[in-house]
Amino acid sequence: MTHNWETGPILRAMSRNKVGALLIALQIAITMTIIINAIFIIVERSALMGRESGVDEANTFYLTSTGFGSAFNASSVIDEDLRRLRGTPGVVDAVQINAIPISGGGWSMSLKTETGADIDGIGTANYFVDEHGVDALDLQVIAGENFTASDVRLRGRNQSDWPPVAMITRALAENLFPDTNYADVVGKTVYIGNDEPVTVTGIIDKLQAPWIGWDRLEHAMLTPEKMDFSSTRYLIRTEPGQRDRLMAEVETALADAYPNRIIRDVDTLTATRERSYRRHSAMITILTAVMVLLCTITALGIVGLTSFNVSRRRKQIGTRRALGATKPAIIRYFMLENLMICTLGIVLGSALTVGLNMALVQWFNQTALDWFYIPAGIGVLILIGQLAVLGPALRAAQTPPALATRTV
Amino acid sequence: MLSMTNLSKVFRTELVETHALRDFSLHVDEGEFVSVTGPSGSGKTTFLNIAGLLETYTSGDYTLDGQNVFTLNDRQRSRLRNEKIGFIFQSFNLIPDLNLYDNVDVPLRYRGMTAGDRHQRICDSLEQVGLANRMKHLPAQLSGGQQQRVAIARALAGDPRFLLADEPTGNLDSQMAASVMGLLQDINQQGTTIVMVTHDPELARQTQRNVYVKDGRVCDEAAPVQLATVNE
Amino acid sequence: MFAYYLRLATKSIRRNPYLSLLMMLAIALGIGACMTTITVNYIMSSNPIPHKSDDLYYVQLDSWDPYSPFREPNEPPDQLTWRDATNLMEAKRAHRQTAMATSGAVVEPADQDINPFMASLRLNFSDFFPMFDTPFLYGSGWGSEDDNDPAYVVVISKDVNDRVFGGENSVGRTLTVAGKPFRVVGVLDTWIVVPRFYDVTTNAFQDTADIFMPFYMKRELELPNSGNTNCWKSPEGEGFTAFLQSECINFQMWVELPSDGERAAYLDFMNSYVEQQKALGRFERPLNNRLSDVMTWLENQQVVADDAQIMLWVALLFLLVCILNTIGLLLSKFSQRSSDVALRRAIGASRSAIFAQYLTETALIGVAGGIAGLGLTLLGLEGIKLLYGDFVSNLVALDIPLVIAAILLSVLASMLAGCYPAWRATLIAPASQLKTQ
Repeated sequence: MTHNWETGPILRAMSRNKVGALLIALQIAITMTIIINAIFIIVERSALMGRESGVDEANTFYLTSTGFGSAFNASSVIDEDLRRLRGTPGVVDAVQINAIPISGGGWSMSLKTETGADIDGIGTANYFVDEHGVDALDLQVIAGENFTASDVRLRGRNQSDWPPVAMITRALAENLFPDTNYADVVGKTVYIGNDEPVTVTGIIDKLQAPWIGWDRLEHAMLTPEKMDFSSTRYLIRTEPGQRDRLMAEVETALADAYPNRIIRDVDTLTATRERSYRRHSAMITILTAVMVLLCTITALGIVGLTSFNVSRRRKQIGTRRALGATKPAIIRYFMLENLMICTLGIVLGSALTVGLNMALVQWFNQTALDWFYIPAGIGVLILIGQLAVLGPALRAAQTPPALATRTV
Repeated sequence: MLSMTNLSKVFRTELVETHALRDFSLHVDEGEFVSVTGPSGSGKTTFLNIAGLLETYTSGDYTLDGQNVFTLNDRQRSRLRNEKIGFIFQSFNLIPDLNLYDNVDVPLRYRGMTAGDRHQRICDSLEQVGLANRMKHLPAQLSGGQQQRVAIARALAGDPRFLLADEPTGNLDSQMAASVMGLLQDINQQGTTIVMVTHDPELARQTQRNVYVKDGRVCDEAAPVQLATVNE
Repeated sequence: MFAYYLRLATKSIRRNPYLSLLMMLAIALGIGACMTTITVNYIMSSNPIPHKSDDLYYVQLDSWDPYSPFREPNEPPDQLTWRDATNLMEAKRAHRQTAMATSGAVVEPADQDINPFMASLRLNFSDFFPMFDTPFLYGSGWGSEDDNDPAYVVVISKDVNDRVFGGENSVGRTLTVAGKPFRVVGVLDTWIVVPRFYDVTTNAFQDTADIFMPFYMKRELELPNSGNTNCWKSPEGEGFTAFLQSECINFQMWVELPSDGERAAYLDFMNSYVEQQKALGRFERPLNNRLSDVMTWLENQQVVADDAQIMLWVALLFLLVCILNTIGLLLSKFSQRSSDVALRRAIGASRSAIFAQYLTETALIGVAGGIAGLGLTLLGLEGIKLLYGDFVSNLVALDIPLVIAAILLSVLASMLAGCYPAWRATLIAPASQLKTQ
């Protein structure tokens, strides 16, 4: 049997019952609008969350040590702490550091390739570490050399000048010197805080700044410094599987070693990532829930309306069967009808989707939608519509043809 | 054309067995116009449903146009209905949301004809029932008699060998009924076999042969007396 | 008559239990989503100090980089330099005024059994307490005589008082903060301000500080900077004094100006101050000073997160889908009962009676959906708490007006959904359906 798509009669029959069809079409249009924009936001946020910090996140934790009392000698306590940490079995390496990547708090400076007040600088995060920084942060020096112990200088609390050498990330090197191969940036001089020269002695593969929302997230600069601060942070990298045990042990060991201080904010990098990206993961969860609920509601609405139509048209369906419609033809009729309503919804929905996206771009600094989300959304909506209508359509096909001769 | 031999139909529920038809035998020759009468509950409608392949039967033999229908599946039965049988129902069974043209189009669609072919047939059959000028009207805009004419046009459009009419004038006043009957007789004279179920002996008399059904059996089979008042 | 309609409605609902349930569910979900996001947005944007939000002004001076604005297009910096904050404070031109900063220090309780801990500090002037109506459990703020030559006095939060002094009245007792002995002059009662309008430069939904002390302790004890420190040029020279003299911003300032005249006068004063500083070679940008009242300032700082607003819009669209859904289902449901309507009309029911009967039915579904929606809202708010962590717990509480709003919204939504189908039902002509079809 050849297939005769009854688009014309269905369309004409639908025009006799505009409101019902329009209601479903509108639902589909709005559902499509929300779903496409939601998926787009979800994909964007997931991409944000997928960015790597460059640190061995799974095996790293950090803590803050705050000394108090006039007898507290920061410099010697730090030396002793680091010796103790690095000597602890299970610890790969440990380092004193001023800020934790992707944690939300840290230092930043502006770098220039020439001096002068009216030249725009390029922002970078600043990390102060000694020669153990590379190991503790799990970095790779891809050009130049790591710091040596003799590079490391002592930085006082209110000191604002900079050591003569620094390592920078590849991304920062490429942005500072766009025309130069990153490896050749080694040996070049950059100016920090307007006019203080610093020589780049090494390039590291990747290290993110503390602020995940910053557009210079991949810009980081390491300077060889030991901080003579009474409140300071240690970042500790452990062997796989040892982190949680060591966190508790290290906290007690440091607290016992020197009583006039507080060990606080002991935390893992995994938890830090979770906290920093919580806003995004929450948005993803909420939008996903909204999408699922919305699809369910729309699908149930279609099921409900089609069921009603089926029961209202039972006599008609029986007549069609009597006149020679096969069961598949009845199913096809309802599927096709739904497809046509969907099409109307999709046309409306495409316009609404683009409109909502434009509003989001305008008022909420979201990015513009990629075109392929629209056909993908159309596919999803058609699938939902067809699946929703399948049940009632199957029931319609079960209508006995003998119904046609029954008088009501 | 239609041959039923010892046909029976039993409806079973948990409590009772109802014999709607028992040992029902009827033969209709090509080109005949047969009426089936009987009191309500006699099995007329069951006969009609089985004859029109709308229902299956429990035992016996039914051959339609030389084909035994017992073993046919749903798809084959649908196809047979579509190609060989034209239905005329008591309550017309027009689809209220479709205009006349689309209503007549319904069975043709299921036959899978080309658009041009369908158009020709729809126009011809509506012409035949005298409603060609009202194609775009909806059923609700027509009188009962006109609606039944549309239903007849729908039945004729597929060019069936065999027309099954179920109380075709049951919902019509006498004037309209007469014109519908006249139309059926025209059709019969052009060679289409017609079986008409009715409770109205007056109507039965206008057919070539009447079959009286009672308690699911054929009781009396006789050619009714041709009355002088027949509308030609 | 209403009782009769109500009985008819319950009957009708029972006749199509799944369909009625589906409509209730749709309304409940729509209401739940809307009320959850409305609650979050409502509290984020609520006025934290309604009785005087028009009298309190945040002070901004454009001391930024001559070559680029602090924020596009031409926003003045959101904080002040030490120099400007202290100069404005010394001028004392407002009814009340306070410069502020945040810091942190170790607290060493006298009781050896209580471990030393890190406390958040707020450095402020004595006017801070009356300006922001801080609730005192014991004692009071310090006097203005303790501001300029800073006295070693602190006001502590209820939490700190509980932790260090076991919740007793600790006024007059000594507390070691940052290694120095301070005298407690006041203990605050639980003080929840949402949003924490007086300092939104860091998280506006965080708790208030642990310890409040005179502003000049910053210089006296060389306390470290908390919050955001932004500099458009490096401090000149070394040491703490160099930082204080630099163009780095880390300080906030509020003034209380109860009348329009005072407000205009203060703005004039700010402008003349900047002109004076321009003569000294600072403030190279064009004059761009600002006084913002509480609500304007919150709006300027975009305290209501974009995500929360996006969610609100999504939720409203969601509700719209639910309403459309309900309209569709009601239309079908009512269309099935056209013979019932025709019969009622035939035996004398007026159109408005039919309308009332059907609207009662939808309102009943709406109320049921609204109550279920309230439950879902509570669930949704718990979900938000779970997803965003504790720091939003101040944000997610339902109050009575919100509960009433939820019920009203759901009844309104369902009536809105019911109006069209009910009206359509009234169009059925009496007796049209009495014949068999």
